[in-house]
Amino acid sequence: MITLELLEPIFREVFDNPDIVLNRGMSSDDIDNWDSLTHMNLVVAIELRFKVKFALGELKMLKNVGEMLDLINRKMAR
Amino acid sequence: MLFNSFVFMLIFLPVTLVGYFFFNGLRLTMAARVWLLFASLFFYGWWDIRYLPLIMGSILFNYTIGGLLAEAHLPRKKAVSQNAIFITGLAVNILLLVWFKYMDFFVTTVNGVAHTSLPLMRIVLPLGISFFTITQIAFLVDAKEGLVEERDFLNYALFVTFFPHLLAGPILHHKEMMPQFDRLRNKVVGWRNIYLGLILFFIGLFKKVLIADQFATWATPGFDTATSLNFFEAWLASLSYTFQLYFDFSGYSDMAIGIGWMFSIQLPVNFNSPYKACSIIDFWKRWHITLTNFVTTYLYTPILRSFGRITFGVSLSAIFLSMLISGFWHGAGWTFILWGGMHGVALAVNHLWIKRKMKMPRLLAWLITFNFVNLAFVFFRARSLQSAIKVVEGMSGANGIILHKSLRQVNFLKMLGVKFDKAWLDGINGSDRAWVYSLLALIFVVFCKNSIQLIDSVKLDWKHFAFLLILAFCGLININQVSEFLYFQF
Repeated sequence: MITLELLEPIFREVFDNPDIVLNRGMSSDDIDNWDSLTHMNLVVAIELRFKVKFALGELKMLKNVGEMLDLINRKMAR
Repeated sequence: MLFNSFVFMLIFLPVTLVGYFFFNGLRLTMAARVWLLFASLFFYGWWDIRYLPLIMGSILFNYTIGGLLAEAHLPRKKAVSQNAIFITGLAVNILLLVWFKYMDFFVTTVNGVAHTSLPLMRIVLPLGISFFTITQIAFLVDAKEGLVEERDFLNYALFVTFFPHLLAGPILHHKEMMPQFDRLRNKVVGWRNIYLGLILFFIGLFKKVLIADQFATWATPGFDTATSLNFFEAWLASLSYTFQLYFDFSGYSDMAIGIGWMFSIQLPVNFNSPYKACSIIDFWKRWHITLTNFVTTYLYTPILRSFGRITFGVSLSAIFLSMLISGFWHGAGWTFILWGGMHGVALAVNHLWIKRKMKMPRLLAWLITFNFVNLAFVFFRARSLQSAIKVVEGMSGANGIILHKSLRQVNFLKMLGVKFDKAWLDGINGSDRAWVYSLLALIFVVFCKNSIQLIDSVKLDWKHFAFLLILAFCGLININQVSEFLYFQF
């Protein structure tokens, strides 16, 4: 099971900000530079770290940390 | 058939609209959708009936391949064949585009490099092929990845052909479109939607025939006929094109979205005041938004994945490659590749800037962004590299600075080496109107609300109704000659 603590280092690296502390409700409005491009960087970094693969068409809809976490866990459970 | 033609506005659109809601009113929803599909194909065939089989073939092919891919997700099917089906589907779409759009570019390039004299194919580019190819490629990718649930053929065919977006976008995603053709509340006449749709349509028409077509009268001679341009001619030619393209393409998008509303179908917004952007990253969030979304999702991300690691350098390379491909998608020529490459480099510099946490005054940031966009559009517009260089040369001042002779008495200008001539703007067939209009357009795009923001404040009162009538009147009386939209050529 992937938790917020496991996601945190990836967020910190992608957004180049060591102070990020995640919670489920966080979205692109709460983190500087979380735009459509860094969003894709984030998603691919998660794919590489947890060995999951997202469908391209579902990436745009994922803009909230909680949703992202749930989807990763659903994928890992398969 | 063009949106800015009488046959479209006075016959095609009303007849299609009445027919659609007539069938829906009788609860013949299937007949209504068939009617809309027939109307859309008629709209496409009006331009050249020979290309109708092409688009119909493309739809049938992609629908079939998409179906096979979606079924391959069922557990009993083998996954091996899925890749083969997908690659075949992708290859056929790309080959179709290459054949109709890029053959002569490749022949010319081979002739240039290998000193051969292979004959050019001179294939006519079927309208909208770039658009209906990439929307369907996205459909295939999603089908392969298990995201296609809706499989109704009529909805699929409508998603591809629905006439407002068919020729030049906005670029649609099947997931946001197909369910809309089924939604029940979309099937009753929405008077408010029709009213708002008409206003947006006529705002778009106004932008096209009163603004874009006016700027074209200066951009076209400047780029295509003048042999050399002085400083002001070159700047006004490039600015005229920058404004022409924006008002033409955003006008088209407004008209498309407006028509969509009349049918109670929501098309995505494509422009959000792009010339207000204070960085290139910001510009691409505001310009041709549906293309930016497509490129980010279906081009940038697969490229990023293919590197197998994420570093800052990898991300910048992926951005550059995506922009290069996106440039080439716009047109078969080195000028388009160069345009894409310029934006790729600018985006990379912008990301580097952010990473270094550097700041810049807002006004300076806007000035650099706007001028970069304007300079890059010179390459986008020019028919050849030589013609682009001619304009850039003029903009640099290499051909001298000439002002109207009435300013001859200003000593300060003389000291700067400015020359004076009555024919100071003859290279662009221009008069004082050229610079006055450019200045007004600049103020307008930087300080005014855009059409989508404007429509938010529209009410059902006499003031707004009068606004609609004036807009419609101005647009309609100015359609003296029907001119094509710029994005039809891409």
